[in-house]
Amino acid sequence: MNPWLLVGLPALAAALGVAVRRDDRLARVVAVVAAGLTGLGAAVLWALDDRGAITGGPGLAAGGLSIPLDLAVDPTRSAMAAVVALVVLAVQLYSTWYLATDDRYGQFAATVSLFAAAMLLVVLSGDLVLTLVGWEVMGWCSYLLIGHWSRRATARRAALKAFLVTRVADIGFVLAVVGLAAGARSTSIADVVGAWRRPGACIDAAVEGGSALGTALTACAAPDANLRAVLLVLLVIGVLGKSAQVPFQDWLADAMEGPTPASALIHAATMVAAGTVVIGSLFEVFAASPTARWFLGVSVSVTMLLAAVLAFAQSDLKRMLAWSTVSQVAVMLSALATAPLAAGPGAGLLHLWSHALFKSLLFLAIGWAALAAGGTAAATLRGSAAASPVLRAAFLAGFLSLAGVPLVVGGLSKEHVIAVAYDGAVAADGPGVLVLVSLVLTSAVTAAYSTRGYLVLTAHVRQRPVLAGVPPVVPVVLAVLVALTVVGGLVVLTGAFAVGEVSVFWLVLSLLVVGVGVGVALRGGFDRDPAEVLARRFTPAADAGLGVDLLYRRAVARPVLRLARVVAFVDTEVVDAYVRGAGTAARVAGWAGTRLHRGQRPSAGVGLVLGGVVVLAAVGVLAWS
Amino acid sequence: MVVSLLLALPLAVGLWLLTGGRALPAGLARRVTAGTAGLTLVLAGATVALGASVDRAWLPELGVRWSFGVDGISAPLVLLTGGIGLLVALHAWVELPAGGSPATFLGCLLVVEAGALATFTARDAVLFLVAFEVVLVPMWVLVGRFGDAHDLRARTDAAQRFVLYTAVGSTTLLVGILLLVTSAGTADLRRLADAAGAGLGSGTQLAVALLLVLGLAVKVPVFPLHTWLPPAHTTAPTAGSVLLAAVLLKMGTYGLVRLPVSVVPDGFARMAPALAVAGAVGIVWGGLVCLVERDLKRLVAYSSVAHMGFVVLALASGSDTGLQAALYANIAHGVISALLFVVVGGLKQRWGSVDLAVRRPALRETSPRLGFVLLLGLAAGLGLPGLAGFWGELLAVYSAWAPAGDRPRAVFVVCAVVAAVGAALAAAYALRVAGLVWAGDRPDPEAPRTPDTTGVERWVLGVLAAGVMVLGVLPMLLLSTTADAVARIGGAR
Repeated sequence: MNPWLLVGLPALAAALGVAVRRDDRLARVVAVVAAGLTGLGAAVLWALDDRGAITGGPGLAAGGLSIPLDLAVDPTRSAMAAVVALVVLAVQLYSTWYLATDDRYGQFAATVSLFAAAMLLVVLSGDLVLTLVGWEVMGWCSYLLIGHWSRRATARRAALKAFLVTRVADIGFVLAVVGLAAGARSTSIADVVGAWRRPGACIDAAVEGGSALGTALTACAAPDANLRAVLLVLLVIGVLGKSAQVPFQDWLADAMEGPTPASALIHAATMVAAGTVVIGSLFEVFAASPTARWFLGVSVSVTMLLAAVLAFAQSDLKRMLAWSTVSQVAVMLSALATAPLAAGPGAGLLHLWSHALFKSLLFLAIGWAALAAGGTAAATLRGSAAASPVLRAAFLAGFLSLAGVPLVVGGLSKEHVIAVAYDGAVAADGPGVLVLVSLVLTSAVTAAYSTRGYLVLTAHVRQRPVLAGVPPVVPVVLAVLVALTVVGGLVVLTGAFAVGEVSVFWLVLSLLVVGVGVGVALRGGFDRDPAEVLARRFTPAADAGLGVDLLYRRAVARPVLRLARVVAFVDTEVVDAYVRGAGTAARVAGWAGTRLHRGQRPSAGVGLVLGGVVVLAAVGVLAWS
Repeated sequence: MVVSLLLALPLAVGLWLLTGGRALPAGLARRVTAGTAGLTLVLAGATVALGASVDRAWLPELGVRWSFGVDGISAPLVLLTGGIGLLVALHAWVELPAGGSPATFLGCLLVVEAGALATFTARDAVLFLVAFEVVLVPMWVLVGRFGDAHDLRARTDAAQRFVLYTAVGSTTLLVGILLLVTSAGTADLRRLADAAGAGLGSGTQLAVALLLVLGLAVKVPVFPLHTWLPPAHTTAPTAGSVLLAAVLLKMGTYGLVRLPVSVVPDGFARMAPALAVAGAVGIVWGGLVCLVERDLKRLVAYSSVAHMGFVVLALASGSDTGLQAALYANIAHGVISALLFVVVGGLKQRWGSVDLAVRRPALRETSPRLGFVLLLGLAAGLGLPGLAGFWGELLAVYSAWAPAGDRPRAVFVVCAVVAAVGAALAAAYALRVAGLVWAGDRPDPEAPRTPDTTGVERWVLGVLAAGVMVLGVLPMLLLSTTADAVARIGGAR
């Protein structure tokens, strides 16, 4: 099957969806049918089990640079495409109910389709330019989705912040793409990996072939490991931005201003997870650069723990889930930062896969609970899982998985990440030890806030919240996601992800760590919100994301605006001054001309100019002949 | 034959409208102009499809030949000019500015179109210059007579500045061309390009390159020679702004490709680092001004300065990829800025001014179609993939990162980084505008609503929006058109 179909179908659905956006019924049909077909296509692609197949793209003629625009398919990519398509289908089905009364439902559904196309493009991309295309389009879609309710000033601000923060980080991403491509004279990922895997190889070959060192250096555009380290660090900066890692972490919690299905989409399978896919596809180059590994390792180690602590203390449960996403994405990336070259990126990608399932489940469930309870604050949501037995099951499976309890999908993938981090720590050329320590601590905190979430949502309340008019499709979507969250770990048996064995030792250890976390959370008993017991004083600071927003404004936005004012002033008062001088001089000359000829001023001005031109022309002609 | 007709038709009709047909009633003049522009577009298509050319002796005493034709570099520009010419002619149904008879206005549009077409098809350096100059006076009339009449002094000032500035630039260009032609002994651009500066001393090459680049840089405009552009754009009527941005600026970059880059490559190489720095500074400079600019029309003009910075940077890099990037970004900017100026001109017509400090009901709420097109233009301006702006700017950054072998690598890499930063600034100002104009609170039902786009305006915007999307999704259309001609320039060098 041609993988372009998987990208083209949702893209087409987006275009169609925009065309029919005024008619809710048509928009619904277009969105859901396209998502369904995409899901089917992804399943077929996975079942066909193409290994390392490259599908030729159109190719661009751009001078000495080859831009083939290929797609690549292998079992890992197919599995990820399948989970993306599944989450998109779940989100589309869910939004037909969630946004049924929204006057801009059609626009929303079309944007979700475009988002899906962009993420599938990143997953299946065999060319850095295609990756960049998908990457940026996702950023734009996130702007539209987060700002969907643009009548609210907070939503407008959150959308702007999300786009600008990620776009600033993308300066690094674009330069990395450009630099890596320049080294390979090609944007094909296979060529880029080949050229940068052993950066000295080209020069050595040229020198052995008998050319002088100087010529060899100019002939080989990918000369040294230092440049490679710089480019990979730039790439990581872009990834940190998109994945909301320190120091770019603050946009994601604000992004909760978007409708809940959009949050589910952004957090589960797309956007924030895209960085893992990109580094995974360049893993052979990335793993060879200790600088880049350390850079990524330090950032994600700090992020995963910080975000987990912030998640625990949030007063708003939807924001708690947002911070947990930040923490979990850091876990995925940590596997890439530490995994030895031989181990490959499998563990990180497996965690992406499992996170997509349980996080979409949690978001869709909390959206329902919030509608039933009338808000997303922890105090409001108390006991709201009682609205439906499906909700209760959803929260149980979702939080078990988030906490990393062994054998559910999230636990399984997390154990693989820890095992790989241990391998990395033993190999000792990367940030393995740091990441391993951070992972263990984070696991405990994650278990604690998962317990908190479950306790609060399923607490016993006198009045059961009731929400009428939930169509059967919503519980069905949630039930499917619950089932996959429970048994999804079986995916390792298909061999789609190259992961090693997990020993009983890790199983016991993670049970122990999770037990500690749960125990700490239960200190105040089953009836009280653990955050109130343990972190009451910390909650306001955590809700404000530790004031990082203020830092962004003071350290970046304000200086840039100040510089812009200076530049605008210089532009009108200095750069333009000599022009105005010329203008005044001409006006004076025009006035003199008027006095002399009593003609009309504009014509005299033009006459002077034309006269000058004629004189010059005459001089030129004379010089010529 | 087809080429001569292509040039003669708009020129003849335009001149007739300016003179004999001056008193024509608005309705008839509009129909005549639209018909002419439509026919011109057909002729432009035929010229490109047939590869038509003409070559006759014209001024034998001077060795100047009447030589016009198209190749891969000029074909997209000829089509763009034809298309934009038709759109501005149609736009006369939307806005017909006061200040003179309608026929004068429309005649000026046609003469500008004719001059631009002649510039893009000229195969002789002197012809190129003549065509380049033909555009100046009608454009001056468009700005100075039909411009925004709110502030007459500002209008006079803008028109004067436009004429003086570009006349000075053209004079420099003239001297450069004369020096080139006298020292090379021919004015035929193809022979000059094939020779690629062979037989010219390095001092002459540098002098010629310097004069040509300076003269053309005014038209592009390259920082710091850009200050004529914002007032001209702000003052000009919508059709004038569109022509200015989509056609006139392109004449500058086209001239850079045809003259210094092809004809005196060694001289150009020596000044390329300076040009690259000017381009990179222009990108950031324009972006920063856009962050605080209050007038939306001026803002779009400054964003043009930033976008042309990418074009200049790519040209300066000297690689084939850079030339491809420059030609792509050139066309893309033509379509995007035309779209934005039609939208912003429409807003100005509806609101009386486009001051961003005035709070107005959000376009998304009151006029979704207009809002959608504005957002599309802004997204394309910030270089969103899938829209026209992306390919040219990405390839421009690439070409600056990996310039031709004889360029100082360090300077160009720094320029590439600066350009990438400028792309982030573009996102900031585009979203600033989107936040102020497009998104906002639900409007007060009592307040006057901004009427949505209908009729001719809707069609004009639709065509431009489609152009922006096609160029974004199918870059191979344009890249493969220019590839051969670019390779020939690269080969001659």
